[in-house]
Amino acid sequence: MPSVVRKPEHTVELIWARGRSEQVTLDATGKSGGAGEIFSIAGKPGFLAKLYHAATSQEHLDRYRRKIQWMVDYQPALPQVPAEYQDIVQLAWPEGLILRQSRFVGFAMRKIAFDRTLELDYLLNRRQSAQEGFDADYGKLVTVSFNLASIINSLHEKRIAIVDLKPMNVKVYKESLYVSILDCDGFHIDADEFRSDAPQVTPEYLAPEFHDKAVAHPEAQDRFALATIIFRLLNYGIHPFTGVAADHSNYPPELAGRIKQGLYPYGRVANTRVRQVPASVHEAFPDNLRELFDRAFASSAYSRPSAHEWIDALAFYANKQSGQMSLCSHGHLRFSGRPCPTCMRDALIEGAEVRRRSFLARLQTAPARTLKYVQKTLRHTHSSPFQAALAQAQLAAVQLAPPARISTRNAIALEILWIAGLLITYWWTK
Amino acid sequence: MSLLALTALWFVPIFIAWLWRPRQAAGPSALALLIAFGALGAWVLWFGLYAQSDEPAGFAIWKPTILYWTLAAIMIAAPLFGWGYPVKIIVGAYFALSNREWRWINLGFATVYTVMGGVNLWVASESSYKDWVGFKYACMMNLLIIVLFRLNFVWLPLLIEDVSVKLYRRASAAYRYLASLF
Repeated sequence: MPSVVRKPEHTVELIWARGRSEQVTLDATGKSGGAGEIFSIAGKPGFLAKLYHAATSQEHLDRYRRKIQWMVDYQPALPQVPAEYQDIVQLAWPEGLILRQSRFVGFAMRKIAFDRTLELDYLLNRRQSAQEGFDADYGKLVTVSFNLASIINSLHEKRIAIVDLKPMNVKVYKESLYVSILDCDGFHIDADEFRSDAPQVTPEYLAPEFHDKAVAHPEAQDRFALATIIFRLLNYGIHPFTGVAADHSNYPPELAGRIKQGLYPYGRVANTRVRQVPASVHEAFPDNLRELFDRAFASSAYSRPSAHEWIDALAFYANKQSGQMSLCSHGHLRFSGRPCPTCMRDALIEGAEVRRRSFLARLQTAPARTLKYVQKTLRHTHSSPFQAALAQAQLAAVQLAPPARISTRNAIALEILWIAGLLITYWWTK
Repeated sequence: MSLLALTALWFVPIFIAWLWRPRQAAGPSALALLIAFGALGAWVLWFGLYAQSDEPAGFAIWKPTILYWTLAAIMIAAPLFGWGYPVKIIVGAYFALSNREWRWINLGFATVYTVMGGVNLWVASESSYKDWVGFKYACMMNLLIIVLFRLNFVWLPLLIEDVSVKLYRRASAAYRYLASLF
């Protein structure tokens, strides 16, 4: 039996939180990101290792080491989960330093079971989530939003902010609906004994006050990104700054520009510069959630709701016993006392489908209808006087003058003057 | 391209046009249009090729209006002086229309050009620069229409021996024949 030959550089030293160290062997998983590559750790199936790319400068590695060392020493307290879900990893938090020949190269973290989770991005599209074996309804979406807000609140209590919070960095457990946040080594830390910045941002989730400048208040940034993700979760993936220009003024083509200008069309007070997209179901949200969204997107950064406020608001809806969510006549979960968002969405899609089919049917019958029209014209059998008049007008021929008898040279001379005239006209109007 | 080559580029065709020009006397309305376009073209060539300085600041906004109002002025003035209808030169005398019809077409064109010259100034003063540029380029559709017109009635028949004109002329006869069949 052939033995697996491991490269010597794949044997590293792993130093756990209380200083205990051991030699481990890493195996490549083929996954890598902007900062590093992911390895499995032989003999430790519940853990993964992230090694920073070889091109990372020593200065950056030193900075990473100080940050990871602090993170290993200070594990944040996370929301409690029931005993049957104890294996759930809510944060891919560093648990140990990895050294190669006494030189820091990366860290070890708990492994998130990718077969039991799906990216939060997938929940923004019902068809995609169904393909992943997750049947999204409003009860589940509210619970996922609540769980996400809970983790963020736990971090904020420790003065830790995610900053680059976006659906791609969040995983959702399909069964329990708990969420897991990746890329923890990029978080912003503002503890008493340690401080570290988080320069990475994503413009579509970046609060308006931080566009074109550094994120000065990371928690305010997280609040904006959290509200954006919740809005998208509840509104079929529609971004709160997706809209239709209400006038012909300069409407930014990119979401980042619209965020910067505060072009939020889904507020309870209409925005004069932008209209909502027809597919939005925000009218079905309860008033307290709409107020939070308005404060997040249409007010100043100071009134933006915190993760704790989102927990308070969503807890009612996430709790089955509260009766704040009920079934509509079609069996969809909705916010009690509000229109059913699923039925609203279905009606919108059905309306669009009916219009599409009607257009296709008209397109298919167009040749036959044209032939019939021509026949009626030729037979003078138009039933409508308007169509009869139209048919007559179309065939009234205009008399053309006989062609001028001029030589080819004269014709060319005249055409040169004509083209010169057209060019002059072009220059004067351009 | 050198200045000499650029000069040759406009001078040679104009020189050929002068050499091969029809020898019969041009009508006064045609001459009026020729003089106007000569002046406008000279302005373009001077500031485009030869002048050391740029056009006066803010003049760009007035340019379409000057063109439109110059044409409108010629179209309004020429019939008053008995010079005929300049629209015949612009549209081309391909349609056998009565003088009364030409008068109305001439008046229609004069009105459109007058209004467009005014609208250009209004858009420039009331809208953003970007919107004004959009409006200006939309007005260039006029040029496209004239090019298509001449393509269909002059250049195409020249190229394919009057086929389109002949077909057009025979359309009513063909319709009468088809109608008799049904």
